[in-house]
Parts: sequence; structure tokens; C-alpha cells
Amino acid sequence: MFYREAGKLVGSFGKDRRMLPLLEDRWLAVLFVAFMYFVVTALASDYMFTAILIPIMVLGVATLGLNIAVGYTGQLSLGTAGFMCFGAFSAFNLILRIDWMTIPLAFFLSGMIAGGVGIIFGLPSLRIKGFYLIVSTLAAQFFAEWVFNAYPWFLNYTSSGVVSLPMHHYRVFPGQENTPFNAAFWHSSQGRYLVTLTVTILLVLACKNLVRSNTGRNWMAVRDMDIAAKVIGIPVAKTKLMAFFISTFYCGVAGAMYCYCYIGNLDFMIFNLRRSFLVMFMVIVGGLGSILGSFLGAIFVYAWPIVITRGSDFIFGGGAIDTAFIENNSKIVVGTIIIVLLIREPGGFAALWASSKQKLRVWPFAQ
Amino acid sequence: MNSPDNKKSILVLKDISLSFKGVKAITDISFNVYEGEICSVIGPNGAGKSSMLNVINGVYIPQEGTITFDGKEFTKMKPHSAAVMGIGRTFQNIALFSGMSVLDNIMSGRNLMMKANFWEHALNIGRAEKEELEHRQAVEEIIEFLGLQSIRKTPVASLAYGLQKRVELGRALAAKPKMLLLDEPMAGMTMEEKLDMSCFIQEINRNYGTTIVLIEHDMGVVMDISDHVVVLDYGKKIGDGAPDEVMNNQDVIDAYLGVSH
Ligand SMILES: Nc1ncnc2c1ncn2[C@@H]1O[C@H](COP(=O)(O)OP(=O)(O)O)[C@@H](O)[C@H]1O
Ligand SMILES: [Mg+2]
Repeated sequence: MFYREAGKLVGSFGKDRRMLPLLEDRWLAVLFVAFMYFVVTALASDYMFTAILIPIMVLGVATLGLNIAVGYTGQLSLGTAGFMCFGAFSAFNLILRIDWMTIPLAFFLSGMIAGGVGIIFGLPSLRIKGFYLIVSTLAAQFFAEWVFNAYPWFLNYTSSGVVSLPMHHYRVFPGQENTPFNAAFWHSSQGRYLVTLTVTILLVLACKNLVRSNTGRNWMAVRDMDIAAKVIGIPVAKTKLMAFFISTFYCGVAGAMYCYCYIGNLDFMIFNLRRSFLVMFMVIVGGLGSILGSFLGAIFVYAWPIVITRGSDFIFGGGAIDTAFIENNSKIVVGTIIIVLLIREPGGFAALWASSKQKLRVWPFAQ
Repeated sequence: MNSPDNKKSILVLKDISLSFKGVKAITDISFNVYEGEICSVIGPNGAGKSSMLNVINGVYIPQEGTITFDGKEFTKMKPHSAAVMGIGRTFQNIALFSGMSVLDNIMSGRNLMMKANFWEHALNIGRAEKEELEHRQAVEEIIEFLGLQSIRKTPVASLAYGLQKRVELGRALAAKPKMLLLDEPMAGMTMEEKLDMSCFIQEINRNYGTTIVLIEHDMGVVMDISDHVVVLDYGKKIGDGAPDEVMNNQDVIDAYLGVSH
């Protein structure tokens, strides 16, 4: 009723292949982005930026990356945190060792380096499928954990194993690191939020472009029926490796952002197998093969425990109940919600979203 | 052989033998397909017809024999080079990309003609947008030809069987193939759908000069639309020629037509 395609005719193929074919959707997207840039930046609290918005976007980018491999191309991977680790260490070492290196360029190059690593660990996908591929991507995870531990050069010989990132690392232009504006910008959580938001939007747009192009169709063709893909001339091996490259590119940038925009230090212990599972979880809960779903999954899996903890603080008064107790219970609650969701809607939040849109479309005529 | 000498062979199969772990599926088969014809391959179930198509476009590698397409001889055909040379294909068990829409399935048939790289795709610059729109135009013509306009955005998995077969034909057609291999395109269809499908096949053949190699069980259809019929039984060729010649061949009558199935 309020929200429908009926009667909205497009006059050209160009208009028909727009990212958001519906006018309402386009307005919604513009408003949302404007809201994120202006309203949120002006009004949100430090806690909101650093503990909620930034990590959700960073994890959302990693989830999107994993979704490219798993959801769009059908290649299972459990190496996400390992690939993020490669991205984080690449960004750190590039900025540390190259004078003219800037944050945007370092983010991009760390994606490229992680992508290269992704291709190497994606090579077994040319011969093996499904669960066996998980083993090879797990190797990426363990390799990352091992290599950055075994070679302290990567950590610039920091004895503690955790490097805090000095302010002179944060430069958007070469030689700009000492300007007061720059320092103030990066010191503020707004600054880091704006950087994360911008990178995230750019990566989402690029992904949207990819999946509506020949590249995206090739990914999905390989996922759905690789023999038919081969027969119509799709280079299956190249398509898989490209998917691994782009997937790990996203994970690499997410890793770099994780350090530079979220926690402000570099520590390979963060990028452990648990985090790989967490991102996989986000993909499944959000919806395989959905960009929106990647972020919904990240929001849900990341934010629910916080909502529950804070909610119980609010209801029972902070400190009234043991925090460890609340934390464990929130895990049980989140786990239960996820199981119920996946039983009722195996397509995850993305499918839930699509079906509620469908209901809006036909309301009030049918269910 | 039986066909007029002035016709040029587009496909020459010579002494093809194929076995799976010692079990022979095809034994020593040779035949030619002539440019621009509709060639039907018939035979009972398990005769090796599908295997034959799989050999032609490189899905199966025969242990013996050569495949010559368009003057180039292969002992090992690869599916990719078959596609590049212009061999299109549909499958007996529909092999559509089930998570994609009708439009995307057919668009994917044109992937070999798209030259933009993934950077261009990601940024939607350079050749990306232009190519996409050009090929969309061509694909829309196919959609119109096959009467799929109203379902172009529908996910293929939700379509009826007959429509899925049609979409698969569209995907193969989108590549502008020189030769189309159709594995039982009318199996399991209603009379009406069969009629539509055989019209499409004949029109493709007539309008674009596409050579058709067709596996079909309905003898009425085969007699109606074929220029050339090849009969297989137990992996061996037992008949090859014009439809009426083949129908009068005693071996064929004994082995296939005479026996009620
Ligand atoms: N991939 C395969 N692996 C093992 N045997 C196969 C395979 N494909 C076909 N065959 C065997 O080859 C023979 C011919 O099969 P097929 O070509 O499908 O026959 P048709 O299409 O004429 O019904 C059958 O005996 C079948 O079991
Ligand atoms: Mg068959």
C-alpha cells in the first residue's frame, strides 16, 4: 500500500538496474546516510561511538567480506579473523615504515595485502569444496596467529605484544600528523567514527556494484551450479580466487579499522579463532548473500549482549547482580533468540526484512 | 555420409569411446553434424545420449576419439573452450542458477562477451555500466522472444518446470552460440509447452542459423523438426541419416522403434 512497485514504471535499463530501484528506498537511504553523518555525529555520546557504532561498522565490513566468500560464492571460510589480522599488521607496518604513507592509502593497501593472502589460502578451493575448505581457511587463521607471534619485527619489537598506535600514525595527508586539527580529529571519537562511516559506506557501495555486475553474477553462478557456470564459459577458478581476494580485501580493511579506528592498538591476540566464528555467526544470522543482512547480523550479534546487560542494569540497578552472571545469561538469551530466528527464518534477518517489506507492499489487502 | 555433400560439417565426432570405471557408456561412435541443421539424437534411456553431449562440450573426456568443431580438432575438449568456440548447452536435469532471477540467469549467458574487470565493476565506471546496458538490451530481446517478460525479476527456483526449461534455453541462447546442445528440452512438458518449445527451437535454427543437436524422445517432434537423426543404443550408433531413412532402417526398428517402452 505505502510501499510498492506497482505503477512505478522505469523508462530505461539504466534506471532499472539502479542500486535501489524504488524511489522510497532511495530517499530512505539518503536520509539514513545524512542522519548518520549529521545527527549522529552531533548527538551521540562517546560511549555510543566507541563501544557501539564503530565496532558494529567494523565488524559489519568483516561480515560483508566473509559474506562475499560464503554467501555470494559458496566458499566456506573460517579464516576471517586471520585475514583481519593480516590487514591490521599491514596497515601498522606500512604507516610505521613508510614516511609518506597515509591512513586512507594504508587501509587500501592493507586490504590488497590481505587479499593476496586470501588468494593463497583460497587456492585449495579450486580442488575441494564445503567442509574440507574450512580446514584450509583455518590454516590461514593459525598461520596469522603464529607468524605475528614468531616474528616480533611485525610488532616493531614491542615486548608486551601489544602496540598502542601513536598519534603520528594518524595522518590523512603526508606530513599532516602534527597539525592540531589532525590530533584533535583523531583523538575525538567523532573523528574516528566519521572515518569508519566513510570507509564503510564506500565499501558497501562497491559491494553493491559488484553484486549487480558480471562479477557478482559469476560468483552466484559458481555458488549455485558450478558445472553449468563452466559450460557457459565462466572461468570458475578465476571467479573463486577473485571472490577470495575481494572477500579478504574487506576483511583486511576491517582489521586495519579495528585497530586504528576502534581499539587504538595492535594486538594479534584479538584476531583469534573465536572472532572468526563470531563473524561467521553474523553472516548466518544476518542472511547469506545479503549486504544489508551482513550489517543486521553484526548489529544483532554484537549489540544484543550489550542491550541485555545494560537493560538488566537499568531494571535491577547496576551492580545489584553479578556482572559475570548477567554476561553468561545474555549469551544464553542471544543464543536462544538466534536459534528461534533461524528455525523460523533460515534466511536470517535479511529474509525477515524482505518479507516484512512484502507485507508493507500488499497491506491492507492480504497477509 | 547420408547428407548431401555440399553441406559443411560443423562437428565431426570420430571413434569416440567413453567408459566410467570400466563400464562402457559410449563405444566407438562417429558421426557428423552439418552446419545449420537440426540433428536429433535418439535412443532408449541409458543409451549414452547425454554422455555424448557431455563429450562434445568437454564435460566428459572420452578415453578414445577426437572431436572436431569448426575445423579445430580436439582429443580433450574443455567446457570453457567449448563455450568460447560457440557451443551452448542445456541439461537434462535443469542446471539453472537457482538463487538468481530469470534476468540474471540469462545475463550470465553473456559473460564471455563482457570485458570489464572487477575494478570497473566495483566502481561502476569505464566499460561496466555501458556493457551492462548493451547486454541487457540483447537479453531483453531473448526474454521477449521466449515470452518471459512478466517473470524477468522472478527467482528461477520458484518457476514451474516448463518455464525453467525455457529460461535455460534463454541462457544458452544469450551466448549467441554457433551450435546448441539441447538435452531433452521437452521432457516432462505438457503438449502445449512442447509445441512452444519446438517452435522456439525451429525459430532459433532458422533465424540465427544456429546448428541444433537435440535429444528427444517424442518421435512425433523428432520426425517433424529434424534434418538429421542419429540413433544410439547401448552406447553404439545404430542409425544415422535423414529422418525417414532412419525410420526405415531395420536395425533401428528392431532395437528401438519396434520395441514398446
Ligand atoms: N557420471 C557418470 N558416472 C558413471 N556412469 C555414468 C555417468 N554418466 C553416465 N553414466 C552411465 O553411462 C550410461 C549412459 O548414460 P546417459 O548418457 O545418461 O544415457 P542417456 O542420456 O541416453 O539416457 C548409463 O549406463 C549411465 O549409468
Ligand atoms: Mg540423458
